[in-house]
Order: sequence, then structure tokens, then C-alpha cells
Amino acid sequence: MRVKLLYSTELETLKKVLAEKGVSFEPEALLDHVVYMFAIEDCSRVTTHQLVRHRVASYDQESQRFSAATKEGVVTPPSIQTNEAANKAYDEALKTVYSAYEKMVTAGVPKEDARYILPTAIKTKLVMTINARSLMHIIWQRTALQAQWEIRELATSLYDLAREATPELWTKIIER
Amino acid sequence: MVNVSLVWSSPKPERTIAVAMRRCYSTKAIEDIETELEQKGVEYWKFLLTKCLQDKSLDVFEHFTISLLVEGVGEVELSRLICRFPYIHATRLNEIDWLFSMNARTLVELWRDREGKPFAESVVAELDRKHVSPLFNELVFGDRIHAC
Repeated sequence: MRVKLLYSTELETLKKVLAEKGVSFEPEALLDHVVYMFAIEDCSRVTTHQLVRHRVASYDQESQRFSAATKEGVVTPPSIQTNEAANKAYDEALKTVYSAYEKMVTAGVPKEDARYILPTAIKTKLVMTINARSLMHIIWQRTALQAQWEIRELATSLYDLAREATPELWTKIIER
Repeated sequence: MVNVSLVWSSPKPERTIAVAMRRCYSTKAIEDIETELEQKGVEYWKFLLTKCLQDKSLDVFEHFTISLLVEGVGEVELSRLICRFPYIHATRLNEIDWLFSMNARTLVELWRDREGKPFAESVVAELDRKHVSPLFNELVFGDRIHAC
């Protein structure tokens, strides 16, 4: 999985407005105003289904209606990777599914219909724009130990990038 | 009298919208999409933005975000606006001054709304003054293609 910050609001410009109006800087006051746009690549659709449950954000995701799927583009969970029997079963199932997908596309079935057979393990790419308040909610929820390994990895990357871009905002809140 | 000043906006708004749009239809890595958009240039961005408007796919406009200082608005007037447009975020700075943040989709929706339009016009005028998103403003709020 790869996560990249495309842009974030310049916190200093917002702080300057507060200062000009004689308002002291409290991170909570700016959580709705600081926005981040991320590119997320090569995570599974399992994880993006979990991600988009956090609704106060804007998402645009690679469409399977138009792009062809390949067997190589799937995520294999570590619990399957490290289990020989499970890994064999997983691989055989993927071969069957992708063979059927390719046969359907070759037979003239539109990609948007042939994709009904594809697994949710398929890798995807998306962009997400989100404000700091919603992002903090995702991070709190999805870095918890109860969260699944892949979205936990994603949430950790989002946190690292957001904290690096706007350290003052995140550090002050975490310190509390 | 209401005074609207731009505090911050997404960098290269039209290209940002184009990136989001291409993300839906391309299998390329984000850097390759960005390179492709730079190489093809502004005319291609214009083509993509025009297509968004024609297809009414305004969701990609949500990646273009702005923060504004809005001065001279009372709480009652502001509440009316925010009740109609819940995706506007406003923080009170004093009795009549506010820090506003919203995305360009909300701006288009304000523009389409009879009550919201005067405020949207102030915002678009400020974007014009600051030379932010000239192509977006021309296509969405100009004479040739109206979002409304």
C-alpha cells in the first residue's frame, strides 16, 4: 500500500486570521478548516469499503467499469500468506475467478458486468479529501487494535502524513 | 456590508479537480496522472472540467477547498445560510466576523440557490480578484456554461 499527501491547508494562514482578530489559537477551532488531500494506492477494496463508511470526506476511486482487472492486482492477507494450505486455496480460487473474468470480457461482456465476479481483495487506487476533524475520527477508530490490519496500516500512514504536514495541530491535541 | 476575503485555497484547483477525475478512469499511479495532466496542459483540464459539468459529476469539485474570512455577518443571517448548506464550516471570531471553509461543490450549490447566490457571488468575485481558479470560474460561473 502507498499513501501520499497531495496537499494540506497551510495552518499558518488560518492562525494569522485568528491573530488579526485577537482570537487565541485553539486547535479544536480549526479542525473543520484544515483539509488534507491524499492519494491511496494498492490497498484492497475490503479496506476502501471500510474507509468510505467515514462519510464526511470526498472520495474518487478507480472505476472497475472502465479498467481491466488482473490476477496480480490483489492483496493477500498475512494470515493466508503464511499458511501454505490457505495460500494454495486462495491462489486456486483467484485463478478460477480471473479466468472466468477474462473469458467473459473476451466473449463481449462489458467490464462493468464481468467485474461482478471479482474478489474484494482486488487492489484499488483513490483520492480522498478530508478535514482534520473527520481524519482524527478515522485515526482514532482505525488505529485501534480491534481494527483490521490493512485499514490500521492505512490509518497509521494517514496519521504520519497529517502530523508531518501540520504538527502543531496534532501535537497540541495529542498532548491533551 | 458583508466583506469576503480569501484566506487559503487548494493549490492549482483546476488541476486538482482534473486529478480526481482522471483517478476514476485511469489505472496509473498518481504521479503519472499528474505528469500526464501537466504535459497535456490547461486545454485538457478545460476539457475535463467541461465534461464534469455536462455529466453533472460535481463530486470531483469537492477536492477544491477554500477558507475565507467573512466579515460583517450577524448570527441570524449566517445560521440561515448554514442550515441550508450544512457542508459550510464556520467558526465565530467575534460578533460579526467568521472563518468559513467549504469546497467548490458547495460553492456551486450556493450559486444555484436564490438565497445563497449573493454570498456565492461575493466568493467568486474574491476568487477572481486573487486570480484563483480562473478557468474554473469561467467555466462554472461564466457566460458560456452555467452550472445552474
